[in-house]
Amino acid sequence: MSQYIIGIDLGTTNSALAFAPMDGSGKDTPEVTLFPIAQLANPGEVADFDLLASSLYLPGEKEFVEGALALPWNPQPSFITGRFARVRGVENASRLVGSAKSWLSHQAADPTQPLLPLSAPEGVAKISPLEASRQYLLHLRSAWDHTHPDAKLAQQAVLITVPASFDAAARDLTQRAAKLAGYPEVTIIEEPQAAFYAWIERNPNWREQVKPGDLILVVDIGGGTTDFTLISVTDQSGELQLERIAVGDHLLLGGDNMDLAVARFAEQQFAEKGTKLDALQFHALWQQGRTAKEALLAEGAPASQPLTILGRGSGLVGGTIKGKIARDDVRNLILEGFFPPVPSDAAPQRNRRAALAEVGLNYASDAAVTKHLAQFLRNAGNVKPTHLLLNGGVLQSSAIEQRLFEVLNSWQSNAVVELKNDTKRADLMHAVAHGAAYYGIARSGKGVRIRGGVPRTYYVGIESSLPAVPGLAAPMKALAVVPFGLEEGSKVELPQRKFALVVGEPAEFRFFSSVSRRNDPAGFLLDEIGDSLEELAPIEVFLPPHTDGIREEIVPVTLESYVTETGMLELWCVAADGRRWKLEFTVRERAAAA
Amino acid sequence: MKAKPAVAPPPEPPKVKLTDGALQILQTLQRDARLVDFLMEDIASYADEQVGAAVRSIHADSKASLVRHITLAPVIDGVEGTNHKLDSSKAPDPNRIKLIGNVPASGKASGGTLRHRGWQATSVNLPAIGKQDVSIIAPAEIEIE
Repeated sequence: MSQYIIGIDLGTTNSALAFAPMDGSGKDTPEVTLFPIAQLANPGEVADFDLLASSLYLPGEKEFVEGALALPWNPQPSFITGRFARVRGVENASRLVGSAKSWLSHQAADPTQPLLPLSAPEGVAKISPLEASRQYLLHLRSAWDHTHPDAKLAQQAVLITVPASFDAAARDLTQRAAKLAGYPEVTIIEEPQAAFYAWIERNPNWREQVKPGDLILVVDIGGGTTDFTLISVTDQSGELQLERIAVGDHLLLGGDNMDLAVARFAEQQFAEKGTKLDALQFHALWQQGRTAKEALLAEGAPASQPLTILGRGSGLVGGTIKGKIARDDVRNLILEGFFPPVPSDAAPQRNRRAALAEVGLNYASDAAVTKHLAQFLRNAGNVKPTHLLLNGGVLQSSAIEQRLFEVLNSWQSNAVVELKNDTKRADLMHAVAHGAAYYGIARSGKGVRIRGGVPRTYYVGIESSLPAVPGLAAPMKALAVVPFGLEEGSKVELPQRKFALVVGEPAEFRFFSSVSRRNDPAGFLLDEIGDSLEELAPIEVFLPPHTDGIREEIVPVTLESYVTETGMLELWCVAADGRRWKLEFTVRERAAAA
Repeated sequence: MKAKPAVAPPPEPPKVKLTDGALQILQTLQRDARLVDFLMEDIASYADEQVGAAVRSIHADSKASLVRHITLAPVIDGVEGTNHKLDSSKAPDPNRIKLIGNVPASGKASGGTLRHRGWQATSVNLPAIGKQDVSIIAPAEIEIE
């Protein structure tokens, strides 16, 4: 029996762990606490921080004095994770792994292959995004076990958050990373939902703030990703019910992009005055730009904020570069660049891809969050949210918050109401981990639970039975195999469609998903694969040859999809005699014909 | 009399000299705030504005580094410039209190004006010194182009 419920926010740039005692000593809902994470702050110095920097550094053999990297639970770690990895990575970027999480949902690279750091020099053993994620989770587990020798993490109920926009394969990889890090079977929860749970946890009177018929928009802007979710409030025999009805596309766009924009702008200003910054100075500028951005976007901000880059070497005062950044410039950069006022029919610009794109992260090609938001609300069926819940460090700025409201309200006649947090706004950084732990409590029966299920419709590709034309791929149809909203613990069968699987040969299905087609029932056949479907990595199944003498060559099977209690999607092939084989998500590069 | 079981002697702890802690603090303040660079630089020729810009940054970083490693508190938590009572039956502990001005021959006083609250370290949180060479306050940096 586990003693704690542990919620882990495995973030793109920072991770956090929150926990609650399983038995809240008689209280209705036990209190959720943030766990201080021991990590290397400097060589030879271990300190506790609320966040574990999701950075990993691959140290060279003689790079540090013996014992300088020791952690309380490991005298000789082969990687540096956390705060010091980020610090040292500034000085030697080619050994720094960052943004591993964004690679888990990469559509054109295999996250189990050693890819990172992308720019590592020859001779550095690269690691896979999966391994990097495992290392962060392992660090969290070790830090926890070190302080809880009698309640090891492997015996606790653990929940890990993922972006709502993570597809089934990326969720699967997250769970795999946890398993490889010695975790028990973890429950996956979507980040915007976790943010909403955190709001519920902090507002015991939340039932007075929403009513049946309300539609809550959650906007979660993290360091590296932006996530939208819609939650509807309904009435079920007198009790408020919450249902997550839509999630947005995966957007690699977040607070880090905004800080970078400010730093680039300031760098430009320095360059115009004839000062060229090197990489380390630029990093210092980036840090200062972040602080300046926060100060200048706050209420009653001064007209400008000084920027000081200390001289390199021992000529510190003499080499100091002074500058300043104006409030109006920052407001212009952030508000007009990332949150411009746009009409409700605005669409984000799509990048025309070069034929031979370098493998890298697929950053959002349009930085305007408001355009992505407009598209999201249109795709969700032109809905008009009644309430807005903001989450993420970026949204602590009152200017951004105000702009979001202005834009939303310009699209609809009824004014959107903010779901405010009672507590300090600084908590927006830790809300997701908090909410995950609260959800763990809700799952055990204490507290309210958001219904939701699978946030996409999934399809497998079926070749149409037209005569093949040389030089042209056979036209594809898409069969809906997982309907939108399929809930935890439920399954759908597709008995009407049979597939012939060849024994001893891997069978592969092309796999698609859609966040906008939300009414296709399981078994629905879509004649044409259009823009509303996104192709994912194929799924495959392998029927091993029989050893007991049965010589079977082809097995007719039907498909079945199932969502586990922990929120994982599974697809199965079922033979007439009841034998079943699980279809595995693959991660390799998707077909060029996509 | 029983024979003592053969036990391997415990590994010798690394030898730490008394001055190592002092060097460690310098190392830390240089690393976090570049304080040694600042103190060793000849700043006489720079304009006040230039010095001021640098100092703001060094001050903030030094303070952050200092409070992270050493908890500081006043010796007397009073308001400077106001009267402070002392126990006139005995001379105050010279570690904690320094009498200045018209100090009586006995060294005992019933009170006086608090001029400086003093500082004391209530806790020190410095990492153990491992195998690093503490005489190196900051390593030389060489950038590979």
